[in-house]
Amino acid sequence: MKQVIVHPERCVGCMQCMTACATAHSTSKTLIGALLEEPRPAPRIHVGAGLEDEGFPNRCRHCDPAPCQLGCLPGAIYRAKGSNTVMVDYDLCINCASCAMACPYGVIRFAEDPKAPPGKTVAVKCDNCVERQAQGKVPACVETCFAGALTFEEPSEAMKRRTGEVAASISLDAAAHRVPLSASWDLQSEMKRRQKALDQR
Amino acid sequence: MRYVIIGNGVAGITAADTIRRIDPEGHIVFVAREAFPPYCRPMISNILAGSAELDELPIRPDDYYRSLGATAYLGVEATGLDLESREVSISAGANLAFDRLLIASGADPHRIEAENLDLENIFFMRTVKDVLGMVEALPKVKHALVLGGGLVGFKAAYGFLSRGIRVTMLIRSGFPLSMQIDQTAGEMIQAELERHGLEVRTGIEATGFEAGEDGAVRAARLSDGTSLECDAVVVGKGVFPARGYVPSAIETDAGILVDDSMQTNVAGVYAAGDVAQHVDVARRRPWVNAIWPVAVEMGRVAGHNMAGYPMRYPGSLSRNVIRIFDLDVMTAGMVSPRESEGLETAEGYDRRRHTYRKLLFREGVLVGFVLVNQIEQGGVLMNLVHQGASLNGLTAEALGPRFNVGQVMGRGRQAGTGYPAPAVGAPSTRHTANAAAAGSSAAVTTATE
Repeated sequence: MKQVIVHPERCVGCMQCMTACATAHSTSKTLIGALLEEPRPAPRIHVGAGLEDEGFPNRCRHCDPAPCQLGCLPGAIYRAKGSNTVMVDYDLCINCASCAMACPYGVIRFAEDPKAPPGKTVAVKCDNCVERQAQGKVPACVETCFAGALTFEEPSEAMKRRTGEVAASISLDAAAHRVPLSASWDLQSEMKRRQKALDQR
Repeated sequence: MRYVIIGNGVAGITAADTIRRIDPEGHIVFVAREAFPPYCRPMISNILAGSAELDELPIRPDDYYRSLGATAYLGVEATGLDLESREVSISAGANLAFDRLLIASGADPHRIEAENLDLENIFFMRTVKDVLGMVEALPKVKHALVLGGGLVGFKAAYGFLSRGIRVTMLIRSGFPLSMQIDQTAGEMIQAELERHGLEVRTGIEATGFEAGEDGAVRAARLSDGTSLECDAVVVGKGVFPARGYVPSAIETDAGILVDDSMQTNVAGVYAAGDVAQHVDVARRRPWVNAIWPVAVEMGRVAGHNMAGYPMRYPGSLSRNVIRIFDLDVMTAGMVSPRESEGLETAEGYDRRRHTYRKLLFREGVLVGFVLVNQIEQGGVLMNLVHQGASLNGLTAEALGPRFNVGQVMGRGRQAGTGYPAPAVGAPSTRHTANAAAAGSSAAVTTATE
């Protein structure tokens, strides 16, 4: 089954995925429409700043078993049958934050949502864009990511490709014609690091 | 295999579910005092507050016992335990033979030394029945008295206040929630509740109660000799493990002592949930953590071992999250003033964001934290405490508003505790960093790790 795969080394921190995610979870499904909606839809993916201010796209890993599901008091968090997706039933959710206390990645937020009962704050998290997938589309965050930090593919394929990249990077003749896996990120973060170091001199 | 499970709380039913997955044939028997279908105990305060309906409480379907192929003695107490004949005697008059026994009878509220404690409208808040009694009494309640400044006391106070009822809370110790949180957070919570009409009095206790003409409580006599009019009382003085029927041959401390498999000192007899005492990973000593997520964990581990699929429990961690009006508070580990003495601490108060954070370390290892507001990243910290991990010098970041798991992983790389820092000219190591981001050995973020 295809899944969203995160390549943080490629993230440039543009946060377009957050905008696309919120739009995909709006009623109108358009950016302008989403901005005018009440409640305004919340993003399920979160680009945080790493230690060198590099982008870090953080989304639900849909763990199995999922700590949030085990910690959920009213039993609102469940795994959708056949899709490996951890979902929240907004009718059952009581906004107690037990899931946020359990989540090792900090990807759960609390907000009103167009799909939740009006006025009710609920736990919102990545749903793998089940709605879009049912229409044959890829998840919104992937569609919008121009940096290639988010891809939608078979995990086995991605693993294979990555294994090859790793092998190539450490092979004997790698030193002769090495291309870093993520030239842009490496360069940018090195420049940031040096700038910080020079500033502090 | 005959399994007897005493208690239908979340520890008991989680164990039963686990057993059934491993052993489709075994005979599972429940003995439970509460006849209400398995429900979410922490949510009973939502019933009092009017933010949840009774039908939202059950956490298993109506036909749970039948679909599990289990026999259930409900509204029935375990009265004795014969370890020779390996039988549980129950108040319904039968003896239930077992091969594997799970003691998951939970905890009972502490009673207090006070006259006329049995008057009408004096409540303990432990079961759905307790709360239904409170809801029934609500129309006549003008002024509620809450005894105890623990979590139950606060949830009771919050519930009454949400219903527009005046509440006075009596706390023996200096500040609210002194077992769960530090003074700063305790005072923030108190201020928030006071803003909504709560009156808090510290260093004072109730010594007795007086009845009105209808037989219900009318006033409380206080330790300073005064009396206080009230028409409902909630006693929230903590809980203690419900193990009165357990013979002395089973080793106990505060709770029933269990090993890493949740087994007591008697082979085949297990304990889980609020009644069980394992080890607290932050405190590094035997400890009863009578909280929901720990009961779930223990129930799972016990179920595995009872059904013959060995599994170890690494230890529990105390933790809690409460939302009180506009205040969110999350805590874990060693945060109470008594326990945090001698620990290194770091704290930060952000006036503009109205947030407060405190981190507690023992020899550089995170052993506790308090978060007031902006609690979304609490799970990251909770898991670091649970792992006994160092924050790797990320204290300032963790106290700040932009803290995220990417920083934890990044510092792990920089510190060489797993992943070296990336550098131009060297083979990129970000692919391994990526594996860290995925939280598994796979170099991808999959949906199934």
